[in-house]
Amino acid sequence: MTSRVDLRDALFGVFLIAVAALVFYATRKLSFGTPADMGPGFMPRVLAGIATAFGAYFAIRGVTTAGEPIDPPQARPLACLLAGVAAFALLGLTAGIVVAAFATVVIAGLGSRETKPLEIALFAIAVAAASALLFVKALSLPMPIGPW
Amino acid sequence: MTVTRREALALACGALAAAAVLTPAAAVAQAFDKPVRIIVPYAPGGTSDTLARIIGPLLQEKIGQPVVVENKPGAAGNIGADAVAKANKDGSTYLLTDVGTVASAPGLFSELTYKPLEDLAPVTMVMFSPYVLAVNPALEVKDVAGLIEYAKANPGKLAIANSGIGGVNHITAVSMAKELGIQWKTVPYKGGAAATQAVVSGESKVIINGATATLPFVTSGQLRGLAITGTERVSAAPDLPTFTEAKLPSADAGSWQGLLGTAGSPPERIQAVNAAVNEILKRPEVVDRIKQQGGRVVGGAADDLKTWLATNTERWGKIIADAGIKGQ
Amino acid sequence: MELFHNLLLGLATATEPVNLLYCLFGVLIGTAIGVLPGIGPIPTVALLLPFTFGLAPPTAFIMLAGIFYGAQYGGSTTAILVNVPGETSSVVTCLDGHQMARNGQAGLALAIAAIGSFFAGTVATIVIALLALPLAALALKFTAVEYFSLLVLGLIAAVVLAHGSVAKALAMIVLGLILGIVGIDVSSGAERMTFGFPQLADGLDFVPIAMGLFGLGEIAANLERTSADRQVVTKKVTGLMPSLADLRAAFPAMLRGTAIGSFLGVLPGGGAALPPFTAYALEKKIARDPSRFGKGAIEGVAGPESANNAGAQTSFIPLLTLGIPSNALMALMIGALMMHGIQPGPQIMREQPQLVWGLIASMWVGNLMLLVINLPLIGVWISMLKIPYRLLFPAIVLFCCIGAYGISNSMFNVWLMLGCAALGYFFIKIGVEPAPLLLGLVLGPQLEENFRRAMLIADGDVSVFVRSPISAVILLIVAVLLVAMFSPKIAKKREEALAE
Repeated sequence: MTSRVDLRDALFGVFLIAVAALVFYATRKLSFGTPADMGPGFMPRVLAGIATAFGAYFAIRGVTTAGEPIDPPQARPLACLLAGVAAFALLGLTAGIVVAAFATVVIAGLGSRETKPLEIALFAIAVAAASALLFVKALSLPMPIGPW
Repeated sequence: MTVTRREALALACGALAAAAVLTPAAAVAQAFDKPVRIIVPYAPGGTSDTLARIIGPLLQEKIGQPVVVENKPGAAGNIGADAVAKANKDGSTYLLTDVGTVASAPGLFSELTYKPLEDLAPVTMVMFSPYVLAVNPALEVKDVAGLIEYAKANPGKLAIANSGIGGVNHITAVSMAKELGIQWKTVPYKGGAAATQAVVSGESKVIINGATATLPFVTSGQLRGLAITGTERVSAAPDLPTFTEAKLPSADAGSWQGLLGTAGSPPERIQAVNAAVNEILKRPEVVDRIKQQGGRVVGGAADDLKTWLATNTERWGKIIADAGIKGQ
Repeated sequence: MELFHNLLLGLATATEPVNLLYCLFGVLIGTAIGVLPGIGPIPTVALLLPFTFGLAPPTAFIMLAGIFYGAQYGGSTTAILVNVPGETSSVVTCLDGHQMARNGQAGLALAIAAIGSFFAGTVATIVIALLALPLAALALKFTAVEYFSLLVLGLIAAVVLAHGSVAKALAMIVLGLILGIVGIDVSSGAERMTFGFPQLADGLDFVPIAMGLFGLGEIAANLERTSADRQVVTKKVTGLMPSLADLRAAFPAMLRGTAIGSFLGVLPGGGAALPPFTAYALEKKIARDPSRFGKGAIEGVAGPESANNAGAQTSFIPLLTLGIPSNALMALMIGALMMHGIQPGPQIMREQPQLVWGLIASMWVGNLMLLVINLPLIGVWISMLKIPYRLLFPAIVLFCCIGAYGISNSMFNVWLMLGCAALGYFFIKIGVEPAPLLLGLVLGPQLEENFRRAMLIADGDVSVFVRSPISAVILLIVAVLLVAMFSPKIAKKREEALAE
């Protein structure tokens, strides 16, 4: 099964161009210098230039050649995974490792269709307790254990 | 972390019990009601970290609360300093750092997220370790006079290594060049070890760097030492004249380690920590340990550190601005 | 005979019961923290340092060194089993090691990693004993000029890492180099692309990026498949122990990896990335059928694992002979020496023979212990894979979070990892591989720094790169590689080899 355009290449090309544009924007104030006496802006702009060239190449190749379609992305696994990580980042230092670990495991776990609610909750409690003992108690990770 | 399990257990039994066990510190102990953190704004293993781990357990005995050493490295010490500046104003968080970086930060960084002189409360200076001035042995320079002569004959050619742009040894090199009327090429490296190695290999020719890291290379003959900062010669290299003896400027340059708290904390707690640390610094084993680190204990009043910071912030700010040491 | 005498002294020190005990202690702790992604040897050593004050210096250092190489071992286990690289060096192990695990050869991959590491450790111990001084002298010949050329070679060789399109691999290296720009520029002090975050001043941390791109990105992609066609390690595990044929296939790769690792490990600043990446590139280059790489080639595990362990060990050479730390952990070791009242520096070999040779001999003893401990443990690790994926993956996500936080005790890295997880998912969807990006990220800052420093010292004279003999030779190899890569004949052969 092929489609008329190679969406993979096209997307990669667009991505590269977007990154290059961001680099050009973020380093616009840095001095360029000369190859023998490079300023801090030299490497970023040279690299961004190369990235643009690669981006254009992939983008053009992508829309002019046929390719295999991308597996349709599914929202739930990625969203739950990212939400799980975010939960840890938000809760870790305020509510402590036990709450954060529990939340991360449960939220990430919801990303799989095979997850069973009771099982994941019990598992999360066990993992949260183990994490507190192992990382905070034994390895002295500077993180509160609970919200108190 | 330096709390042993037994100590932790004892402390968990309550501050009262702990205070009773440690009678001499009972009065101080009542002033502290929660664990104290010493934040080291560098990765483990450096001078500040080592110092914190020497002082931490002893401070714990004095104040009757667990003392935890926490490394918050990044951004030339600014991330750790920022964390202390913004901590609860209850005297429970301290910064143990090379205070030179605190004094140079306002000049170097236009967008600091904290105000070093206003947001941090000086507690006490802890330790000083001198800088050593050394050259690659292949360089035809035998002493300080020879170095100055060589630098004058070859303006802008002599490469002097430093441990990073805006580091205190970089500022020292720039300020020396200005006062001596010489020009040399300052070459930045990632840290003192890399800079030392570069001068040993001959990539750069001169170095001013902490004696702790660089002096062993002088004693082994891989570098030729010319002079050392500080008020007195060091036993490891008794032939090395001091900067003052060699009539060099920046005689007080070096690594100054100090302890700072969060501004706005109860003064009696800052005072208690000052007293406790000064007592700790009088212990023979601590004096020895710090000597092993290539330094000497300093101690003193909070105001001494305050003055030191104010003076150097102004002085270095000028040097930094004149030399244009700065990004962007 | 002096060498013989020294080794004997070392062995006598290393086999004292108390030292054996602490060595065992060290490698066990090391293995445990290595297995947990993100909790690296550096914070662990810092943590345990105060507890070593009561010990004699040789005992203390034997234990601390044991943690270091034990962690290298443990890191491979995680990379192979769950595709999460906890350290720079394990990224390469993910490539083929995890593929082997997916093919039901997890046991074989773990065993080969263990045997390769032991072999490399044995050879590296001999190398240290015999060649420490000449190698250290050679390392000192590497100035900014030579480093620059070496790094160029490393980047060119990285193209071989990808088993897809060369153009995409090159583009990913460029992306990695761009990410490497983030932070304060060493040569000018200017902040670049930090977007006002002070946490970015020292550049992007490698580990959260690697864990996000490799581990989490793949989990997200995996979850989209049903358990039936999900290719995680649910196949029946076969062959825990390598057969003679496996060993025969892996041995030459171990040999080459050991040679590469022993040499590159000595270079200060080369870091943990170069040895395994280079070994992998070499194995793929000289393989009769390069298309097997990335799909579970045994040489792809044996070579880099040997290189990694050999490099880890020879990285002690600059520390022991010159007093120069070649990486962050060695810098910590210097701090540890001073806390024990030993002045690190070039005189240490003369003044502390018992410590130095005891440490060297203990590395071999420790490696033997690791082998003895780890071969039986393989069964235990494999049984971990029997945990259902629906429980395993949330736990991996959590450990990655804790690991990312633990690097510098900052949640910033957790957010960074989150971003990289999304990016890794995107890369999987569009079919590009992240390994070249990671190499670019690691080598890019050093490349720029060394080039600019070389130019600063040479007053902008570009000819320094060919006037230095070492650099000239390296650049010649680069030229040959480039010609070979773009010459039509070889390009065609490559395409044939890559055609699936």
